[in-house]
Amino acid sequence: MREGLRIGQNLADARAIWPDLVVQEINRPLLRDAFETFADWHSNASPMVAVLQDANEFGDLVLDITGVSHLFGGEGAMLRLLLKRLRDLGYTVAGAIAPTIGAAWAVSHFARSQVVRPEALDDILDALPVGALRLTESQIATFTQMGLTSISQVRQRSRKQLQARFGSVLLLRMDQAYGHVEERMTPRLPQADHHVDRRLADPISLMDDVLLITHDLAVQLSYLLEAEGLGAQGFHLFLYRVDHKVMTLSLNAARLTRDPHHISELFRHRAQRLAGDYDAGFGIDMVRLAAGSVERLDPVQEGAFSLDSGLEDIDRLNDRLSSRLGVTAVLQTELVASHLPERAARLVPALGRSSGQPVAAPLLQRPLRLLPVPEPVAMTAEVPDGLPALMIWRRQTYRLVKGQGPERLGGEWWRQASRLKLVEPPRPKPPEPGETVKPPPYVPDLPLLDPGSESRDYFAVEDQEGRRFWVFRQGLYGSAREPRWYLHGFFS
Amino acid sequence: MQTPLRQQRLAALRDIIADIERKPALAEGQARLDEGAHNQAFPRLPKGLVQEVFADENRDAGLSLGFALAQSTGLVTSRQPSIFYLQLAADAQTFGLPYGPGLSWFGLEPARLTMVRVADMTEFLWAAEEVISCRSVASIIADVRGEPKLLNFTASRRLSLRASASGVSMFLLRYGHGRESSASHLRWRLMPQKSGRHPFDERGLGAARWRLLLEKGRIAGNQVEWLLEWTKNGFALVSPSARTSAPRATTAFPGTLPAPLADRLSQAG
Repeated sequence: MREGLRIGQNLADARAIWPDLVVQEINRPLLRDAFETFADWHSNASPMVAVLQDANEFGDLVLDITGVSHLFGGEGAMLRLLLKRLRDLGYTVAGAIAPTIGAAWAVSHFARSQVVRPEALDDILDALPVGALRLTESQIATFTQMGLTSISQVRQRSRKQLQARFGSVLLLRMDQAYGHVEERMTPRLPQADHHVDRRLADPISLMDDVLLITHDLAVQLSYLLEAEGLGAQGFHLFLYRVDHKVMTLSLNAARLTRDPHHISELFRHRAQRLAGDYDAGFGIDMVRLAAGSVERLDPVQEGAFSLDSGLEDIDRLNDRLSSRLGVTAVLQTELVASHLPERAARLVPALGRSSGQPVAAPLLQRPLRLLPVPEPVAMTAEVPDGLPALMIWRRQTYRLVKGQGPERLGGEWWRQASRLKLVEPPRPKPPEPGETVKPPPYVPDLPLLDPGSESRDYFAVEDQEGRRFWVFRQGLYGSAREPRWYLHGFFS
Repeated sequence: MQTPLRQQRLAALRDIIADIERKPALAEGQARLDEGAHNQAFPRLPKGLVQEVFADENRDAGLSLGFALAQSTGLVTSRQPSIFYLQLAADAQTFGLPYGPGLSWFGLEPARLTMVRVADMTEFLWAAEEVISCRSVASIIADVRGEPKLLNFTASRRLSLRASASGVSMFLLRYGHGRESSASHLRWRLMPQKSGRHPFDERGLGAARWRLLLEKGRIAGNQVEWLLEWTKNGFALVSPSARTSAPRATTAFPGTLPAPLADRLSQAG
């Protein structure tokens, strides 16, 4: 508001007042990124930080400081510290500590920065203008027309009238500000009840150093978890950079664990996959290791008579492989109840394997290897359903001497859109003399479902030398589309 | 330099080289191989061997996977329940991927097999070593296309040492005629062979058969060639004369199965 300039002013007016005005277009992605970076950085004040975006485009920073203010010497000192460190960076900041998110927003935007005691909440809010309730421009304009300027005036009106005129949003905002309705926030960073920190006097930047510290932290974390009889499945590593950026590295284990060597080894493998993405900037001055998905893990005594099934070793091996190669690189087969070969088996990550309904494998002759995409082959076979006799695949000719089939597999019509095409359009009758021709009802011009073109005939064949293939013919002779042959798999 | 001193030093060096060349792991593997020797049947090979299975061409990938899986099913115990399969992700369309229902038809629970798909040869070797040093793995089967430079003698020596130490068997499925030096315990050449007789179908595919040539290593009294048949109960030996002999006394339908006929009927009606 300096020199007569204000927010929301026309550019022409502003230029008239201040001819040497430097005008720049707003860079929204940059602002958003910067805001999120600040939000992450503030996780060193409180673990629950969120960006509030319902009132302001770039949001407001919200911190839930329940139970942390004593670490900073009380709420007043904490507020001063947080504001001061942002002001030191050259930003204009306003903030408030209040019992509700709505009240804190109102006070920080429309009053001086202060700590609002619960008993003083009503008095302070009542004195503020209606804009402090996080309302839209038009709602504020309506209030101005009605002559209502402060919140206390609005509160004297009956709720029914207000709801009829402004909708339930106004009442919700009021209730949220006064604490009658709880307002929830969604923290940006993963929630971690159990975490250990290491603050560093000198910033570090080498990944090896980070991993060394990670190992130390993993040992500390495992003591922490062991004391409470807990184990964790998710682990998050937060690297706080000197320039107020936070890097997170998350991974999951196949089963509950608190073994520090296993955890640090997983992070070592995960870091190798990072390679180019790792950027320490000017250095890292704090490392935090947090445990997520914490559950009870009773200590197990390894005795002489304990039955070792080896499954734990396998899970750990899967953890290591997945952390280095990626979760989608370590796969297991899950059988699906479907008769189409490519749908009957699905590859799922070995880590997140759901123990859903197990499907029994059908006892059908199936090949040992299946090609991800069937390859077209040239085939000579007896028409219509005889055994194939000669096959050309990858430019080589195979004389097929043995064969079994056909095994006919129909398309899964219940999964296809073409089931809608079964409706045949009614033929228009020839118009009788004197009758006006009505236009026929609209029928989409779709091809009719041809069951023949969807079904496949599978054959197990063997060539002269003893190679065994699984081939199929798509479509039937005599249907609209010419049948084609494909190679789909190899037998042992 | 004085001659006796020099000779002493040379002798000491020769001793060191002899120590290195004694190859303790390989010698141990050889000793265990001889234990498994039987008179006639295909020997049950011990754990902790690195076996190279060479097929002549890429298209024989099904045969070599069958042979490796057939041996692996014999290695699975309650303490070592898992089999790992390793492949470069780019090779999936060339060789195909192990197929769950096919595995259960072959005689292996699909849940036992874990597939690891890696991006390059460096990851391949890392994953192979990682898997091979885990004692709860029964075996690892790895598809290798062509002759990658990284899979040299040193790499295969590392693998064979780890396999001997942990007792995990490794099958390197390789393709082509080139043979590079490697530290594997056994090297097979696998050739296709016409399948056995289907009990009810004259033209049907029977039990899978392979012709095996042992190119490196020695098992079971210097035999180098086998004609093997795989049934769900294990390996069966086929005598070369029985290949062409009259079919066994099983009740067979004359001609083909009536299934095609039934299909045709439904189509006609």
